[in-house]
Amino acid sequence: MTIQKLDGITFAQMVLSGAHHLSNNAQKIDALNVFPVPDGDTGTNMNLSITSGASEVKKQDSNSISIVADAFAKGLLMGARGNSGVILSQIFRGFSKGLEKKETVTAEDLAVAFESGVTAAYKAVMKPVEGTILTVAKDAASAATEHSGLNNIVELMEKVVEEAKASLKRTPELLPVLKEVGVVDSGGQGLVTIYEGFLAFLKGEKLPENNADIDMEDMVNAEHHKITQDFMDTSEIEFGYCTEFMVKFEEEKTSENPFNEEAFRNELSEHGDSLLVVSDDEIVKVHIHAEYPGACLSLGQQYGSLINMKIENMREQHTAIVGKNKKEKPKEKSEYAIVTVAMGKGLKELLESLGATVVIEGGQTMNPSTKDITDAIKQANAKNVLILPNNKNIIMAADQAAELADEEVRVVPTKTIPQGISAMLAFHPDADLDMNKETMNEARQHVKTGQVTYAVRDTQIDGITIENGHFMGILDGKITSTNQNHFETVKLLLQEMITEEDEILTILQGEDVKDEELNTLIEFVEETYEDIEIEVHKGNQPIYSYILSVE
Amino acid sequence: MSIELNTNDGHVTITNDVISTIAGGAAVECYGIVGMASKSQIRDGIAEILRKENFSKGVVVRQANDKLHIDMYIIVSYGTKISEVAHNVQSQVKYILSQSLGLSIDSVNIYIQGVRVAKD
Repeated sequence: MTIQKLDGITFAQMVLSGAHHLSNNAQKIDALNVFPVPDGDTGTNMNLSITSGASEVKKQDSNSISIVADAFAKGLLMGARGNSGVILSQIFRGFSKGLEKKETVTAEDLAVAFESGVTAAYKAVMKPVEGTILTVAKDAASAATEHSGLNNIVELMEKVVEEAKASLKRTPELLPVLKEVGVVDSGGQGLVTIYEGFLAFLKGEKLPENNADIDMEDMVNAEHHKITQDFMDTSEIEFGYCTEFMVKFEEEKTSENPFNEEAFRNELSEHGDSLLVVSDDEIVKVHIHAEYPGACLSLGQQYGSLINMKIENMREQHTAIVGKNKKEKPKEKSEYAIVTVAMGKGLKELLESLGATVVIEGGQTMNPSTKDITDAIKQANAKNVLILPNNKNIIMAADQAAELADEEVRVVPTKTIPQGISAMLAFHPDADLDMNKETMNEARQHVKTGQVTYAVRDTQIDGITIENGHFMGILDGKITSTNQNHFETVKLLLQEMITEEDEILTILQGEDVKDEELNTLIEFVEETYEDIEIEVHKGNQPIYSYILSVE
Repeated sequence: MSIELNTNDGHVTITNDVISTIAGGAAVECYGIVGMASKSQIRDGIAEILRKENFSKGVVVRQANDKLHIDMYIIVSYGTKISEVAHNVQSQVKYILSQSLGLSIDSVNIYIQGVRVAKD
């Protein structure tokens, strides 16, 4: 048969047929799903997406193919679910754009639309993964272009389906995980199913339910792949036998006891999981993980004779894979710990996130005593401990605590929080203690620390006159600027701190600094120093409005 | 700044950098993402698309009380269902990290920093 011109009404019927065929096979497509995430929902997602597309198509009765395709694309976009659904919506968005407002299209126009769909689909991803629905769409569109001279839309669609199927078979060659598991791509299978539905309408064929020729073997492979993700321990396996069998229907049994796939599936599902049931007029194939395979076989025998049985003990297999790895007992003492000092909850959390084992609250106005540090060393429960005092007035107490401790303790004489952070970043758990002390001490010296705090009395220091209550900017312990508000002070301080060579500025926001002010400051830095990267942490530290570090 | 795994034969340290690189790599393979955006670049609302070597800049790994949180700053393609793309990224990133590092991620937070209209 020949169709030279395709109109909107025919295309609408093709869409509905494609959606119907996909919905009939959604369960099987789910079973194939191993990539990108093996959560077995590809068929379901594609089905929801295309159903939404089809219902938009049903809402209008235009005879213009471009209007119908637009409606289809819009419905797909609105109802897109999952990766496969989003890709499908892009393919048909491009497809409808490629129709260029035409009322009817020729085979040549249709090929252009397929190509335009592929172009759009590839544009929406940075790194297209080949061996997926994208590849199948691309190869199918190429086949359309190749045969667009046929001037017959039915033939063109036949070529499209043929090539889509061939491309689907090639997916395991392109995507290693598919090959590993032994399946074809589920999204690609979904697209093939839709195209098959398109073609079936054009040829006036009625597609039997569940006819997409999806290999049982593939479904079983995918099922096993998903299962291996689940069990960490052999004892967790609830259903111990992987059971596969086929039943060849026998007239005398089925006449008394008619076979119904749905009912049989429900019956079997009581006996185990990972259940797959596929049937046609002559045979039913079953795959199930069951604790009592015999019961499942007996259920099958109600309808005919058993052929091709295979039963495997999964616990034995799993033990062999896992080996004798027993979970470890909690360890006595860890190898390394870092004990450090900070004030303010935010700073404490920041240091903990960087790997500090114990953070002693203190610093500047309430320095921890030697005993506080000794207690922290005990609490850290490690063979080797590094102490970062983060304040020059605490270094002495830390040294004393180190001498008193039974553990191997070293003090890295960090004088500020930023120095402490840099030292922590230089920590290497696989280097020995003295080596770590050395590299951490080296690292802390590369940091410039700026602090903004307020004066508690009138004074003159470093040639600068400071009034009580005014703020001062301190660069590595030396006062460089003063002003009555902390925002101006911090700007002056930054101008002192940042040089050509510096790459990164870290700001620890004090408890008296509002977010608006901080944002203004970030804008100022971005405008003034284009190349510098800014990191901000909520330190919520008292006393110091800002603690800055520049490296 | 890193995660420790103890095994029978010793221990494994995974730095946050590794986690963010893997997360970034997983994200850019997600359908609908056309770029990663730098977390600190929101000047005039124009997010800069990061070059390949800087993927991890658009990924922030946070650890709090033994829980892992990941923030990702992404740019999506115009005409996709953005909510769904974001959701796909979340599940893909979670899955890839659990597969490659055996880490379970507590949350993957997606920040859409821009939408890119492809030139036809």
